[in-house]
This record gives sequence, structure tokens and C-alpha cells, in this order.
Amino acid sequence: MSGQTAAREAEPTADTATIRLDGLTKQYGDVMANDAVSFAVEPGEIFGYLGPNGAGKTTTIRLLLGLLKPTSGTATVLGADIRDRRALTRAKANVGYLPDTLGFEERLTGRQVLEYFARLRGDERRDELLELFRPPLDKPVETYSHGNRRMLGIVQAFMHDPDLVIMDEPTSGLDPLKQDRLHRFLEDERDAGTTIFFSSHVLSEVQRVCDRVGIIRDGELVALETIEELLERGGKDVRVQLAGPVDPDQFVTTEMIDVELVDRTARFTYTGESIELLEHLVQYDVTDVDIGDPQLDEVFKHYYGTDSQEIG
Amino acid sequence: MTAILRTESGRLLRGTLTLTGLLVVLSAFFLVVFPSIQEEAALFEEVYPEYILALLGVEELHTIEGFLGGYIFPFVWVLLAGIYFAYVSAGMISRDVRTRRMDLTLSSAVSRESVVLQKIGALWVPLVALSLALLGTLLLGVSLLGESVNPIALAMVHLLGVPYLLVCAGIGLVFSVVLDRVETAQAAALGLVFVLWLVDGLAQLNPDFEWVGTVTPSRYYDPTAILVHEEYALLDAGLLLAVFLVLVGLATAYFVRRDL
Repeated sequence: MSGQTAAREAEPTADTATIRLDGLTKQYGDVMANDAVSFAVEPGEIFGYLGPNGAGKTTTIRLLLGLLKPTSGTATVLGADIRDRRALTRAKANVGYLPDTLGFEERLTGRQVLEYFARLRGDERRDELLELFRPPLDKPVETYSHGNRRMLGIVQAFMHDPDLVIMDEPTSGLDPLKQDRLHRFLEDERDAGTTIFFSSHVLSEVQRVCDRVGIIRDGELVALETIEELLERGGKDVRVQLAGPVDPDQFVTTEMIDVELVDRTARFTYTGESIELLEHLVQYDVTDVDIGDPQLDEVFKHYYGTDSQEIG
Repeated sequence: MTAILRTESGRLLRGTLTLTGLLVVLSAFFLVVFPSIQEEAALFEEVYPEYILALLGVEELHTIEGFLGGYIFPFVWVLLAGIYFAYVSAGMISRDVRTRRMDLTLSSAVSRESVVLQKIGALWVPLVALSLALLGTLLLGVSLLGESVNPIALAMVHLLGVPYLLVCAGIGLVFSVVLDRVETAQAAALGLVFVLWLVDGLAQLNPDFEWVGTVTPSRYYDPTAILVHEEYALLDAGLLLAVFLVLVGLATAYFVRRDL
């Protein structure tokens, strides 16, 4: 899924980038919601925009869509400067948007909502999308579950066959099966040439689906790397319940960091392959294992330090 | 690019039908009581000096024209319909911003100016529905009472009322783009239109303060003059229309510059 990333190492030129942020800054009083954020998203890639809740992801997206005005700096979307309202409005004909909070006309049925967006933008791909994502079209949106709202949102974001789709926490509310379906769909779209800007606070999701990732924290871009680099830095949050006490020197391997071994419980972050960890664990009398994704904050602490200035 | 106009028009339909039904019933009630107050009205007009009646805006109350112009229109049209237009317009932008519906709309290739204009354009629904329903009710009611009224004058009283209602809508629209909370915007718009109506009425009671009323929109719409004297104040209507356009211009200029 990330085979194309190597070619993108070189800094791209302004003409080719689908999205280019240049010192984009948004300040609310003393709070820097976005602090001089700069990066570029290339055509035909899935760009992950990763950060904990409140990091400033949605602010960036709303700046890109012209819903907010930058305090300083700027950005281009499909070649249009976001400070040029007319140019940006024209460019939006080729942009799809899936917001985190989906504001639909609640009394309308899903079908009527899609009719509205079809008149607003066109709907070349509506039927095709409705075979993959099936919200109950004849029911009013106010009766929808989170998952159904999200599916309706996905359909409206892609139905006019845009060149760029900006998605803000697209899988929230979707069950794992539909998350997988969305991930596969996004990969197909990417292969067909669509550029996807994928904002998320879930590390594993970004690792799974994105080609490159920008990590934002407290309004600042703290890392910009390919998914391979992120995978190298990533780790699993592991908790092991043992039947009896073990010798720490034997139990702890070099791939384990931040180990807490208290009584018969071990907690650590595992930076190696999961299969190797399981092979290691079967040597012990284990009663329970819990392997999960680390909290983003943990990842930041380990790999970027508490001071986000370290990495630019 | 009329998707917003269409959707917004549909959205206004339900409220419009409710209000139209309400105002039709209310007007019918007024007409029902007309014969019984007709005699009292004549007496009233004999007892009170001419200038007091003029100041109250009450003329020829014992005639159907005076009754329509002095009773039904000031209440049903100027106050109730005016408040409705201010209230509805105050929710138009603020509610969409609040519910993030505006984000989705503006992620399309549509300018903010166009959004405002299409939304305010959807007011054709209540304008047409209210005018036609009330016109029909009054024509029917008047003929049932065995009275007659100049249909041209009755049509004009509706037509010249449109700019007045649009000014009320303009007031609502300005609050809708400036205030973030839907309820606050609606309460402010409704309150202001009510206060303006009150100020106009009170100012007319006192000759020393009558000038205060010149800033109220209802001063430029006089149903009694239209119905009783068949005086069509086109200039006043034009002035109201100009004020409406200025209010829409201000609201749009503010809306395209603000953060959402």
C-alpha cells in the first residue's frame, strides 16, 4: 500500500502539489490552533494527518476549505490560494469533504439529502457508491445511527467524483467491517488517481491506510514521514498476566521499552513484530495477553519527546 | 445553482402553512366580529375628536375598508407576519452555521454570497402563500358580510406590504450572520421588530415624539391610507425596498468575511 512513497521523498514543486500549506497559522487569542504548519500533499496519495483530539487537525481542514481565515501564512488547494475566495470556490467543484460533525438537514430522508448535494455538485458516482455504503435512504436522517450518518457522508463526499477528498475522522462511528470496507475503497480510489487527505487520531488506522503521514500536536507539525518510518517508530501497547513470577532479566527483551513488571503483571511497549512477541511469550505460563495500539500521546512521548520543537 | 433555493423553499413550506392557516383563522374571526362592532365604531368616531382618531390611525372604522386597514392589517400583517419574517430569517444562517450544515454546503463550489441570496430568496414561499391566502380570505369574508371592497386596493395593500416584510426579514438576516446562537438571533430579531412596531404606535399618540416613528419600517406602510383613500405610497415602498437591500448587503458583507 505504500510502495509509491519512495519516489515522493524529494521536495515537490508548487505546481504539482494537490495541497500545499505554507506557514499556515490560525490564532485564537493566546491559543495557536495551527502554528506555521507547512507540508505538501501530492496527487494520488493517501496522506494521513495524525494527532490527538484537539491538536488542530480540524482547524487545518477548515482553513483549507476557506471556512476560516488564516491569521498568517497560506495554503493552496488544487492550485487555488485559500485567501482568494473566488479561486477557492471554483476549485471546490473538484473537492469532496467528509466532516467530523455531519450537519445534514435532519427532517429530510437520506435520498433527499443526496438529491440536494447532487444539485449542488453533481452525482456521477452516486449509484456505484450506494452499493458499497448503504444508509437507509428512505428514512429521515434524524433517525440515523452514527454509522449510517457516516455512510451518507461518505457517499456525498465522493458522489461528484472529486480529485481531492478531505476526510476528518472518517471511520468514527463505523463498525470494524465497514471501516475495512472504507479502507479498501480509499486504496482503490487512490489507485484510480484520487488524492485523499485523511485526518485521524487513531495510529493503527493511519498506519494501515496511508502512504505518508504528518503528525500534528498542539497546533504544530511535529513529524512528516513515510508510513515505513512511522511503522519503525510505532509500537504495541502490551499487558501480560502471568501465572507466576518471572525473572525480569530473562523476560525482558530489547524490543520491550518502558517495562513495568509488578508482581505477576507486565506492561510494556513492544517495538518488534507481534509474531516474535507471541513466540517469546509462549515460553512462559501466561494467563492473559492484551496487545493494543499505544495512545498517541505515548508515541509522541517516546519518539518526539515532550518538546515538540525537536522535530520540524 | 439553485439547489439551496429549492431546499430552503421546501424547508419554509411547513412553517408557512402553519402560519398561513393561523392568520386566515385570525382574519376570519376579525371579520365575524365586524358587524357587531360596526355600530360601536360609528359611535366611537362621533365621540372622539378627529385628530385623536387620525393619530390612532383609525379612520372610517365603521366601514369595511377602515376596519381592514385599521384593525386587521396592523395586527395580522404588520405585527404577526413581520415578526414571522424576522424570526425565520434570523434562523437561516445562524442555524446552518451552528449545526455545521454550512460546512457541507460551502465545501461545494458555491460562494457565500450565493448562499445568503438563495436563502433570502426562499422567502418567496411565505410571501406568496400568505398574500394569496389572506387576499382570498378577505375577499370571501367581505362578500359573505354583504360588503364590498375595491379588489385593486386590497391587492395593493398586500403588494405594498411586501417591502415592509422584507425589511423585517433583513433585520433577521443581519442578526443571523452576526450572532452565533440561533435562539439569541431569533429573539433579538423578533424583539426588535416588536419594539419598532410599538415605538411607531406610541410615537403617533404624542405629536411631540412623532418624529421618533420615522425610523420604524411600519411608518412607511399605511394600510388605512391604501384601503380608505386608495393612496398608494410607492415612494415609501421604494424606500423600504432600498433599506431591505442595504440590510442584505450588510449581512452578506459581514458573512463573507467572518470565520465559521
